[in-house]
Amino acid sequence: MLFFSYFKDLVGQEVTVELKNDLAIRGTLHSVDQYLNIKLENTRVVDQDKFPHMLSVRNCFIRGSVVRYVQLPPDGVDVDLLHDAARREARGG
Amino acid sequence: MVVGGLREFALRRNGDGSPALDESNGEELMHVQPSVAVALGSRSVESPGTLYITSRKLIWLSDVDVAKGYAVDFLSISLHAVSRDPQTYSSPCIYTQIEVVEDDEDDTESTGVLDLSKIREMRLVPSDSTQLDTLFDVFCECAELNPEPVEEEEEESGHNWVFSADQMVVGGGGEEDAEWQISQSPTSVIGHSNGGDESIAQPMLELRINDQRFDDAEEMVHESETKDH
Repeated sequence: MLFFSYFKDLVGQEVTVELKNDLAIRGTLHSVDQYLNIKLENTRVVDQDKFPHMLSVRNCFIRGSVVRYVQLPPDGVDVDLLHDAARREARGG
Repeated sequence: MVVGGLREFALRRNGDGSPALDESNGEELMHVQPSVAVALGSRSVESPGTLYITSRKLIWLSDVDVAKGYAVDFLSISLHAVSRDPQTYSSPCIYTQIEVVEDDEDDTESTGVLDLSKIREMRLVPSDSTQLDTLFDVFCECAELNPEPVEEEEEESGHNWVFSADQMVVGGGGEEDAEWQISQSPTSVIGHSNGGDESIAQPMLELRINDQRFDDAEEMVHESETKDH
């Protein structure tokens, strides 16, 4: 549940979600659930070439299973802390 | 259950024309929205129709053509959103993206017949646009009801993480009888790679003992009378 907890702490921050189909959507993280489904607000498409039809939707729900990356604000990540927490969780701690 | 993309759907119950559901599998109707038009991909909108949202999938049935209907599983809906920008689309609608299984044979140009399984975007345009937020919420609810199915292996064996090159046994970290091995075996010091943090050493130690390559060491400790080697 590590990343679920981690993303919950990021609610309210700007993130860019890159989907497995290469679409990248930027928006404010509204909420996240245990499956890492993501709800974004004030969304806009980063690369408008592939999916021009969804240029600006106010809110969107992204299925967790189609997310490739979530790009985080650089100052929103404590890399060392996350590294240690991930290692602990992987070891069953 | 084969999960594809968008597909034809024409199984209706007699009488009220609503779709037949897979009730034996727990599928139930979550929401019905009359007067909804559907636009597949870049095609023009089709109407009039009724949107049926079940716990498993989305079904749009034409109100005038009994044979025409479309369905897509929530497992295949990558994202959904409320679209209100008139520059993007003339009417406020629910915009959805459908996950398409890539096919090696891409012959979309060869036939004039529409291949539904290749549709990547679908818009649902209710004639009552005040219903959009409700529809968006129902979509969210149903998406949450359909998480990725978890494979059994992952659940039973637990973690299969590798921490070091010595660790060759997979799935040995979950044994309940490993606890006594830690207290009796003098090899416990080997597992202390982080300054004596036992919680980290424990899984590593369990695995080393279960590893056949260390059998000799164990035998020497527990059966000191054995002089076979």
